[in-house]
Amino acid sequence: MLHASYFDGHSAQIRSVDLSVSGDDLIIAGEGIERRVPISEVIVDEQLGRAARRLRLKDGTFCEVRDLPALAALLSSTTHRDGRVDQLQRRLGSVLLSLAACIVLAAVGYRFGLPWAAAFVAERLPPAVAGVLSAQVLRALDNGLLTPSRIAPQRRRALEAEFRALRVPDGTAPSTLLFRGSPQLKANAFTLPDGTIVVLDDLVTTLGDDGQILAVMAHELGHAHERHGLQLLLRSSAVGAFLAFYLGDISHLLAVAPAAVIQARYSQTLEWQADEYGAALLRRNGMSPQLLADALKKLVAFHGGSAQAGYLSSHPATTERVRHLEQLVAAH
Amino acid sequence: MEDIARVDTPPPSSTAVPQPLRFIGTGTEYFGIWIVNLLLTIVTLGVYSAWAKVRRLQYFYRHTELAGSSFDFHGSAVKILIGRILALAMLLLYNFSVRLHSLFTLVVIAMLAIVMPWLLRNSFRFRLYNASWRGIRFHFRGSVGGAYRVFLLNGFLTLITLYIMAPFMHQRVKAYQHGNSWFGQTRFSFHARVGQFYLVYLALLAAIVAFVVVLGMAGVGSAFMTLFQVQQHGGHVDPRVVIRAVVILYAGLILLGVSIGPAFSAVVTNLIWNNTRLGEHRIECAISPLRLIWITVSNLVLVVLTLGFFIPWAMVRINRYRLESIRLVPAGDLQAFIAAESEAVGAIGEETAAVFDFDISL
Repeated sequence: MLHASYFDGHSAQIRSVDLSVSGDDLIIAGEGIERRVPISEVIVDEQLGRAARRLRLKDGTFCEVRDLPALAALLSSTTHRDGRVDQLQRRLGSVLLSLAACIVLAAVGYRFGLPWAAAFVAERLPPAVAGVLSAQVLRALDNGLLTPSRIAPQRRRALEAEFRALRVPDGTAPSTLLFRGSPQLKANAFTLPDGTIVVLDDLVTTLGDDGQILAVMAHELGHAHERHGLQLLLRSSAVGAFLAFYLGDISHLLAVAPAAVIQARYSQTLEWQADEYGAALLRRNGMSPQLLADALKKLVAFHGGSAQAGYLSSHPATTERVRHLEQLVAAH
Repeated sequence: MEDIARVDTPPPSSTAVPQPLRFIGTGTEYFGIWIVNLLLTIVTLGVYSAWAKVRRLQYFYRHTELAGSSFDFHGSAVKILIGRILALAMLLLYNFSVRLHSLFTLVVIAMLAIVMPWLLRNSFRFRLYNASWRGIRFHFRGSVGGAYRVFLLNGFLTLITLYIMAPFMHQRVKAYQHGNSWFGQTRFSFHARVGQFYLVYLALLAAIVAFVVVLGMAGVGSAFMTLFQVQQHGGHVDPRVVIRAVVILYAGLILLGVSIGPAFSAVVTNLIWNNTRLGEHRIECAISPLRLIWITVSNLVLVVLTLGFFIPWAMVRINRYRLESIRLVPAGDLQAFIAAESEAVGAIGEETAAVFDFDISL
């Protein structure tokens, strides 16, 4: 015998009943109520914490049971079995296992799944999307970090002519070259999601040598070819969306903050990819990859290893990259 | 032999004595549900999130009790999933069009403005229709025309008056929402006047101004003190004093930033529920702004420190405080409520409204 409250679904009246099981039937008995229902027709709510469980009948009436252990005992003598998720969320072992699985999945997903998915999507996204995104990024940068270039127009035209003359492997979309100044970003160059390459004034003046400037452009063409800009944008969007989902329940403020803090950083792997592409491109055009190595060395010297320097902080382990490029030169 | 109703004599506790809402859930219990939800959502790349939402709402509804009986949530996960997919599509379209800066942007924004009142009305309907107490469902019966008047017309008025009419709009939204809500065949009514909303908004504005003035005076005062000391005793300004002043100023501004939301929520929620009635039954709500600020801020700190794993406890804490601040003052027998004819309701509005971040729960 198990005590329960009986509700008819039409009024808020509580009626006190006793539940019992006889064969395959649930028996509900109380003042003026005498029902016998096959247990297979009763929908039993899952056990959520210490909330009262409801046994629902097809006609909208239900019994509310507070004594959870007694109900579990009653149900165990029937054909009813609790759902899988229901059991998962109740047992300490499976809860701890879920916790561990969440942490492992998040780490693996971030380390491997995210880069793979970003590369997969970036390759298949229509160029128009990248164009719109790039125009917006450039507009934002032009209103903030970037200033018009102060390099003489003749010099810019000469560099652009050399850039245009580079023979690029088939299948690579032609990149637009832009010159800008930036007191904050200093000697730097970067690639927008649609492959547009932005070269900053300080990079041109610091390197001076056309071959080395062209080597940096070749490296940036590597980023454009592999669609790295788009990949990074997709990665940070995915991280932002996950955080919004993860933290959105508790605070919209918290959910937005990390997305703003997490910046699209070039990862080591992407840099190596761009270096390899740049080296191959230089060689294809009859130039030595040593030019890129020299350019990197000059930039290290220029920034003096200060942590604020944009090119170096976003391009980690520069000395290792120089060594790798020089190995490529030596191998030939 | 079935269902011959015999009315029990109502227990004395259900009449005349105020009935507080009680929340009996705990963070530790909810953690189990939350983490399994999280795992299944990650594994299914987000598809399970609709089922996760049903479990979450069921957990919170079923652990909320009034007069010894708990609430229940009946929403279907499939309907929520369809709503979410539609909402996601709308969000992507909106984000893409906003970046485009062209005529298309205006077309999309106009389209959203036109469907949004209808979606919000649907969201009220879904939320209420799927809530029940003692087997009796809630209902929302606001008209579509009413939704357009309240959200589109008043929203437009609020915008062109530079938000001076925001308290007016807020009152109209709540009057539409609460005035058209039903519990079974018993209707809710809303009695707060526009003037009361203006008073609450002005009081909050005054509190913010007072806080900023005090903070500014403390900063200016300490600067004068330092200058005065330097003049009297010679020497130069101790950099530590300057750093301390700057830290105090920043800490004060951050505290203000995180406090405005909960403080506003506390006073407005009190105003709204204290002026809402269910039939002849009154509702009382006494959320303390300071207490709500404390719970919100300490929750934020703990969630950040634990990389999010405190979330279940944080949600239980804030829900318990908010719910247990509300009580029903019955004017008669709580067993006398009667259910209405049922009608099925979809989830599309609710999910779209959630993605576009309208706070409709206040």
